[in-house]
Amino acid sequence: MRHHGDVGTRILAVEDDERIRSAVKLALEDEGWIVDEAESGEEAIEKFARSNPDVVLIDIMLPGIDGFELCRTLRRTSDVPVVMVTARNDTHDVVAGLEAGADDYLTKPFAPKELSARIRALLRRIRPNSHGHAHLSFGDLELIPDEGKVLRGGDEVHLTKTEFRLLCELAESPGKVLSREVLLDKVWGYDYFGDGRLVDVHVRRLRTKVEVDPANPRHVVTVRGLGYRLQT
Amino acid sequence: MNEGGWFRRLVNRSRPAALGLRRRILLIFTLGSLLLSVFLATTTYGLTRSNVVDERIDTAINTSQRNAQGVERDLRSLPADAEAARASLTRLGRQDYLIWYAESWSGGGATFQNADVPPPLVARVIDEGTSASQIVRIGDELNIVVGWDIPGIGAYFEAFSLDEADSTLSSVRLSLILAAAITTGLGVLLGIFSARRAVRPLGTAAQAASAIAGGRLDTRLETTDDPDLRILTESFNDMAQALQVRVERDARFASDVSHELRSPLTTLSASVEVMQARREELPERSQSALDLLSSDVVRFQGLVEDLLEISRFDAGAIRLHMEELLAAEFVRQAVAVSSLPHTPVHVTERAELALIRGDRRRLARVIANLIDNARAYGGGQPEVSITVLNPDDEPMSHILIAVEDRGPGVAEEERDLVFERFARGGGAGRRTGSEGAGLGLSLVDEHVRMHGGRVWVEDRPDGESGARFVIELMAAELDE
Repeated sequence: MRHHGDVGTRILAVEDDERIRSAVKLALEDEGWIVDEAESGEEAIEKFARSNPDVVLIDIMLPGIDGFELCRTLRRTSDVPVVMVTARNDTHDVVAGLEAGADDYLTKPFAPKELSARIRALLRRIRPNSHGHAHLSFGDLELIPDEGKVLRGGDEVHLTKTEFRLLCELAESPGKVLSREVLLDKVWGYDYFGDGRLVDVHVRRLRTKVEVDPANPRHVVTVRGLGYRLQT
Repeated sequence: MNEGGWFRRLVNRSRPAALGLRRRILLIFTLGSLLLSVFLATTTYGLTRSNVVDERIDTAINTSQRNAQGVERDLRSLPADAEAARASLTRLGRQDYLIWYAESWSGGGATFQNADVPPPLVARVIDEGTSASQIVRIGDELNIVVGWDIPGIGAYFEAFSLDEADSTLSSVRLSLILAAAITTGLGVLLGIFSARRAVRPLGTAAQAASAIAGGRLDTRLETTDDPDLRILTESFNDMAQALQVRVERDARFASDVSHELRSPLTTLSASVEVMQARREELPERSQSALDLLSSDVVRFQGLVEDLLEISRFDAGAIRLHMEELLAAEFVRQAVAVSSLPHTPVHVTERAELALIRGDRRRLARVIANLIDNARAYGGGQPEVSITVLNPDDEPMSHILIAVEDRGPGVAEEERDLVFERFARGGGAGRRTGSEGAGLGLSLVDEHVRMHGGRVWVEDRPDGESGARFVIELMAAELDE
């Protein structure tokens, strides 16, 4: 069974190991995607500006600018979905990668099928009619799902696609607690064994953008032992 | 593990077989203090005795000499009369005397009679005409009898009680025995104290050694100013340091190797996938080769993952991500992503309500490994069951998650061995294919133990051939 990605979807694969890069490129091209390669952070920044990819795949261990730094650099100007590739799934690397702005991560050695599934999940469009509301208001927060916009006190807040989707999932059932598993499934398309740290770090990132005081969140509230909910 | 082994042997060997160091020290102190106090007591007693007795004897001789001179004076005066001598002695308050005069005894009383004078003394004084004294026992008392020859007239004997000296000596003796006993007792106490002190560093070292053997490799002995102990402390700490470096290097090596393997494995698995997508275009023989290649790449990946996890165990770098999980739901999900996703899961009514605390992904690995094991060695059709341990207990304490297979089972003597690293079932039947990394069950064991549970293997309860791997985990009942 061969899946075909959206026609013309561009992926920028940043990996210093040429063999991995070539093999992954071959496998991703089989999925119908266009793959650009970069072997360093510097090259990646240059190519990113030129080709404007839909997804970026970043290996953390890069010579020169490392993966974390590259991710932060891209995030300053773009909300492009980023998948980090780590050589280890220690808490440190995973959390640091997510905090640098990555949307998801994979641990080497990964199966390209798994990578494709992750990319597809990140590219999934939010169907505007699934919400049924053009506008959702929560205190000083205003959600416009159709336009993919979030306003805080009337000013637009820049969220990555994943952060936006996370907020939308919470907003769809305001006041209701959503467990990490549910959020992992709905936002990232993970099964029961997804990594809860994805949710935790994204909530943390989301709070720095939508909360007045991220240390005392008033919108995205943690419910200990259960999950998160959006305060109405 | 091996390090712990030789270390324990070394510690064991240094323990003397017959008499412990502590007992030896105690014995030396006890004997030493006993000998010393006995020696001192004996010497003191001897000196005291000669002092007291000699003084008494001197007094006796002087007094009796004066009295003898008085008696001589009385007897030489005319008319010579023993009665006069006796009267003057009585005047002096003397009682215990005897006068030999004119071939007959006079004087004496209830406490001193002529029969009390020993014949040798009589012979020396009266027959030989010399003055002499002798210690004799009269009645119950010790006395010194002094005899004075009165030349040409007779002799004078007087007895002096040594009783006072005797009682002085016996009280001295008592005090000395008491003192010796106390000294010996103190010696024993000192011995116990010293023995404890001497052995205490050994106890500390032994504790530290077993801490190291138990995996706390950073255990060190406190440095000390004692130059004798410093040798022990320093060499112990050097050894611990060397051990720690070696163990950590080994662990790091395994971890480095696994990390190094990750990159080529990524290339391999991506390339194999590309080839798999074009499998139909390949000749039949290439297809077979590709199938072998791809299944072994998957196996290789599992092995590297297991190796990494094991090296994390060895480095003590595992942090469990604990969550409350509904046991039944969790196991069903874990089975669904395992290599045999359609394995039936039987759950008792009460077990449906069991909550466990665990690291979701690691426990899922445990279930997956048990199912892999059943697939490789157990005939391939395992069944999973979840039951409550002691179902009548209120509240529930533990649940049992069992994976039963239909293989040849595990022989009694191999039931601990199967959980060792790279252990494969020795029974011919358990060697079907070369599948199984040999790390799977040891990971199961280590993970379950980190969760405070235990795992074991037994026969199938229904008596048929097959193995039953059981995990026991703490559980609580879900509040409705």
